[in-house]
Amino acid sequence: MASERQIAANRRNARKSTGPRSAAGKKRASRNAYRHGLTLSVASTKASAKQLDKLVRRIAGDTEDAIVLERARAIAQAELDLARVRRAKVALIECASAFGELDPRSLTTVTRVIRFLNAFYPGRVALPKPLDSSATMPSQEPDRSAEAIRRLLPELRKLERYERRAAARRDRAIFNR
Amino acid sequence: MNRTNELTLLPKLPLLITESPDEFDAVWDAFEREIKPRGIIEQMYVHDISSIVWEILRLRRCKVVIINSAFRSALEHLLVQLLKGPGQYGYEVGDEAQTLAHAWFIDQEAKKQVSEILSRFDLDESAIEAEAIRRSSADLELLDRMLTSLESRRNKALACVAEYRASLAHQLRESADRIIGGKGILRLEDAASERSTAA
Repeated sequence: MASERQIAANRRNARKSTGPRSAAGKKRASRNAYRHGLTLSVASTKASAKQLDKLVRRIAGDTEDAIVLERARAIAQAELDLARVRRAKVALIECASAFGELDPRSLTTVTRVIRFLNAFYPGRVALPKPLDSSATMPSQEPDRSAEAIRRLLPELRKLERYERRAAARRDRAIFNR
Repeated sequence: MNRTNELTLLPKLPLLITESPDEFDAVWDAFEREIKPRGIIEQMYVHDISSIVWEILRLRRCKVVIINSAFRSALEHLLVQLLKGPGQYGYEVGDEAQTLAHAWFIDQEAKKQVSEILSRFDLDESAIEAEAIRRSSADLELLDRMLTSLESRRNKALACVAEYRASLAHQLRESADRIIGGKGILRLEDAASERSTAA
């Protein structure tokens, strides 16, 4: 357990770090928890809000019953969420198919070590060339897409969970469970 | 098949550049013919089922390609094990195994040679496939999990269509009962009985 002195020191130190101060820093920090945006409401853009309203109207018909409209909104929202996850899946596969991977591998640590060694033994150790993941991709289809899917399996599985949840939300709204 | 107005509201399934929209439409049409959806909710389910099935097909294709693409390294690994004599290290026969594994795909003579090596240990070409599957087992397991999940979602969606139809039929029956048991019908019946007493 921390002593009184430690607690006081922790508090003093905590006061020194109060998060980002500049506007740019605050903006960047505001997106710290942002990963893929798939949990964002579908009505977040004007176009998708319009599409949502149209679908709600189609599901609910002419009724003005607030409960029916609310259920229709939940169904439509889940349906559009489902479509969004599917779009994300295809976009990821296309991206991996084109570039070989999603995030280029960082060589920072290796590069730093080599720079450090070069400081003592100049010119002895050569910096590695950046890895080109697309070069290791099969050149022809359908092998290329299959390889892209293989490389993305963990990500695709995560998206699959989002998809399942959206479908479950839609079913709950339809059957009023 | 011409899509109805309701379907234009449903978001289209995005396809990979290499996938054919016509083939997807054929899958969708086949499900529409089988299920004969009525109303937007049923159409939503049919679209969902078609999309899931399309993804299942995509992953199954991928599974085959994953195994096939592991063939060369599997054969190379197998040849190193088989060519290696007692007291020899793997790297000593590595080059020979690599050359033979490469030639196996393009040269009939090399294919024959590999078959001979395999038969020396009572093996045949299925040993290469087994090794390819073993080498890609981690990926195949993930793929299988995804396929199982998709198949269960497809079955659930099919069950939902049936449940929705049953609940709709139940609602319609209840509404019909209400109408029959309501005043409008009674009035008609009363009028009919009045006519018969007057006669």
